[in-house]
Amino acid sequence: MSVSIIHTLRVLRPAATIVLVTLLGLIAGFYANAAFFPGTQPEQPINFSHRIHAGDNEIPCMYCHIQARRSISAGVPSVNKCMGCHNEIAVDRPQIRLLANYWDAKEPIPWVKVHDLPDFVHFTHKRHIAAGIECQTCHGPVEKMDVVSREAPLKMGLCLACHRKNEVEHGTDCWTCHK
Amino acid sequence: MSTIDRREFLKLVGAGSVGTGAGFMLAEAIKHPLEHLIPYSIPPEEFSAGIDTWYNSVCGMCPAGCGISVRTREGRAKKIEGNPSHPVNQGRLCALGQAGLQVLYNPDRLTAPMLQKGERGSDTFLQTTWEEVLSSVAERLVVSRNRTDSIYFLSQGVRGHLAKLFELFMGGLDSDNLWHYDFDHPHSLYAANDRLFGEQQLPYYDIRNSRYLLSFGADYLNSWLSPVHHSLGFGHSRQGGDGPRGRFVQIEPKMSISGAAADEWIPARPGSEGILAMGIGHQLLAKGRYTAVDADDWSAALKDYSAASVAERTGVPAETVVRLADEFSRSQAGLAIGGSSAGNHTNGVDTLVAVNMLNYLVGNIGKAGGVVFNPDPVSGPTQSRQANYRALEDLVENARNKRIDVLIINNTNPVFTLPKSTGFTEALASIPLIVSLSSFMDETTVMADIILPSHTYLESWGDDIPQPGVGFSVAAVSQPVVSPLYNTRATGDIILDLAGRVGLRETMPWSSMEEYLRDGWREIHARSETDGENFDAFWRDVLRSGVWGENTRREGSVVINKRVIDNLGVAEPEFAGSEKEYPFMLHPFMTNAMHDGRGANLPWMQELPEPMTSIVYGSWVEMNPATAKAMGLHDGDMVTVSSAFGSIEAALVVFPAIMPDVVAMPIGQGHSALGRYARNRGTNPLQILAPMTDSASGSLATNATRVSLVATGRRSDTVRTGGMARQLGRDIVQSTGGDATAAEHSSALNSIPIVVEST
Repeated sequence: MSVSIIHTLRVLRPAATIVLVTLLGLIAGFYANAAFFPGTQPEQPINFSHRIHAGDNEIPCMYCHIQARRSISAGVPSVNKCMGCHNEIAVDRPQIRLLANYWDAKEPIPWVKVHDLPDFVHFTHKRHIAAGIECQTCHGPVEKMDVVSREAPLKMGLCLACHRKNEVEHGTDCWTCHK
Repeated sequence: MSTIDRREFLKLVGAGSVGTGAGFMLAEAIKHPLEHLIPYSIPPEEFSAGIDTWYNSVCGMCPAGCGISVRTREGRAKKIEGNPSHPVNQGRLCALGQAGLQVLYNPDRLTAPMLQKGERGSDTFLQTTWEEVLSSVAERLVVSRNRTDSIYFLSQGVRGHLAKLFELFMGGLDSDNLWHYDFDHPHSLYAANDRLFGEQQLPYYDIRNSRYLLSFGADYLNSWLSPVHHSLGFGHSRQGGDGPRGRFVQIEPKMSISGAAADEWIPARPGSEGILAMGIGHQLLAKGRYTAVDADDWSAALKDYSAASVAERTGVPAETVVRLADEFSRSQAGLAIGGSSAGNHTNGVDTLVAVNMLNYLVGNIGKAGGVVFNPDPVSGPTQSRQANYRALEDLVENARNKRIDVLIINNTNPVFTLPKSTGFTEALASIPLIVSLSSFMDETTVMADIILPSHTYLESWGDDIPQPGVGFSVAAVSQPVVSPLYNTRATGDIILDLAGRVGLRETMPWSSMEEYLRDGWREIHARSETDGENFDAFWRDVLRSGVWGENTRREGSVVINKRVIDNLGVAEPEFAGSEKEYPFMLHPFMTNAMHDGRGANLPWMQELPEPMTSIVYGSWVEMNPATAKAMGLHDGDMVTVSSAFGSIEAALVVFPAIMPDVVAMPIGQGHSALGRYARNRGTNPLQILAPMTDSASGSLATNATRVSLVATGRRSDTVRTGGMARQLGRDIVQSTGGDATAAEHSSALNSIPIVVEST
């Protein structure tokens, strides 16, 4: 007597269909999240426009991100710094009023990080600026953005590709970034 | 063609929805968490994100007073190093000092003012506001100040301006009961220096330039006075100079880490170190090494200490006594120091007088490589407020007789460091109000009614004049390196606030400790050579370098009074308990990591192996292998250690470098409070000590208790990082063995072969 595999499959078919549909749903859900909620352009407490500041008015990046050339972090300007100009300029615009509210309350502005590396990556702005890398290489054309979004994936492949292309000394050693 | 019925369809829809939802959540879960970039409103002047800022300050972990440099980033302290400009530690720092970060970030810190709501000692505290605690303390102080001396202030040893502030405060409250209490304060050494040299302060022992160091019990590389400075000096004496390598002999009943670094380790009967020193003195006189006019007086004073009689009383062979005297007097710059166990006997002061005498007899006072006297401290009170054991007994007595209304305790832990037999804890019950200023819930703070949580030293303003000094005037400023982490206040600020509330504004007009300190340092500015620099610039410079110094050395020679010479003599040490009932002499010793117990709540210190045994965590009892064999005890056996005043349990450790009738236990573990890392770990040998005192200094003779050991039948292996102490023929450590016995000893150890089992 022989046992037909067809028979077995037929019995299992309803269960297999359910598993298959669940898996398809899983994949669809996963990519739907990534496609519709990428998190590359988080909402900020103030609608600050880099296009107006860095683009139209041609303010250099390091006028505000003053630490970039001497520290590992580029630094975000203090409220004090914003108010240096906005005491005089565009004081009646609603977004500048928001800024003034923070300043009057002597509270910091809780900006949301757009570009963030995991804690196990040791990245230093100082060395990249010193090597003549443009800010836009990793941050994208920020001067054209009204709301900053993350354009480069900021994954290890990006770092390595650049380190290889520029033949950075020890640029592909593990301990250069993971220390 | 198959059809799908309604039931089947619903199943598939359900499966699809669950799958999609799960997929969505999965994608959400692996997303980078949202982080914020918080700028300053107005950034502090020195602040740059991602860039270190270093602040110079003073270490508060032990009384040595080393200078520290603290690395901070984004307003957080990250690392503590030694301040290279500070003459005490010259850029170095010990393990305990580096663990200061774990004091600052300790999860068991007191974070807000608290009131005891339940019974005293029940640890049922309720958090409250500063206003409430300060006003209620002030109220009680105002009432109690009408009764002279009914307010007690028991503080950890403080120096400089904070000490002066305490004086003003207690003076204003009409009470003379201001006491400093440090367990390890060397009362006997102070008394000995006072008796022999008429010095109120400790001298500077110039180990650095000495070429022959004779140490009587002083564990100077680990726990005695200023271990970092001594270690620097020792290193230089051994390897740093141009001349011959310095030789170093250690005399003690149990080998300490200093003993392990010595060229020669000599066990003398506990408490007989002074007799040995007198014996060496006798030899110096007999050989005509001392020829001043009063040589006859000295000879007379030392006549009873012939080599033979000293050998009998100390257990050190007569020829060794003769040889030590010879080496000591022949070597250029021979230095004798004494302390730790040698000073903690009932004859402690006599012993240390005898040790100091040796420096005088070889003419090594005020010279490089000898004993150099320190100038007066540049600020702070000159009168010592250190409470010896007798003063603490008085405190207990006064409490029992209801003569104390308020007891203020500042960051000291007598409940832990005083023997049970003192009755300190019980006496607290008779004090109506106990206020504790502390950063931690230690054994003493648990007994308080009101807790005023104080800043750690890394958050406070202060200054320090190191004791012992380094031969010239030094003062250092302690500044906050981070903003306060919790709702705590600096000790100085609390005292100033209370002073205002009890009506002492007139004598203490300052609004904060910082202001008071700046005000006080104007005096130091006035005496400094500043080339017309104004005070603000001077103050900035001091804060930047962390230390101020003056190149003034004291001149002049010492003449020792004939009366002092005539009264020289070291009595036999006394011990509590009969030799028959309690056959062993207990030798409690301090370690660098635990100090007097304050290191026990720091995980780094718990994990730091004790250098001689490599044991981490817990407590143990060290015993000579021959004694252990005779008693049938093995390494790891739990034993009960009993004195006439109590008993404790600990694991036995067979330790070769200890005298057969001595057992040693480390101090610092056995906490019942002080947070999660300290509590319920090991035992506290201080609890079973007998109330024996050195009558000349009034200090507790911690090494004068006899104990018995009984096996409990249980076993508990100690946790060690090291393997075994033997080399088993592997020649890991090679020695050039100067004398025949050392070579023999070494070869005997090396001749034990490694047995390789063949298959």
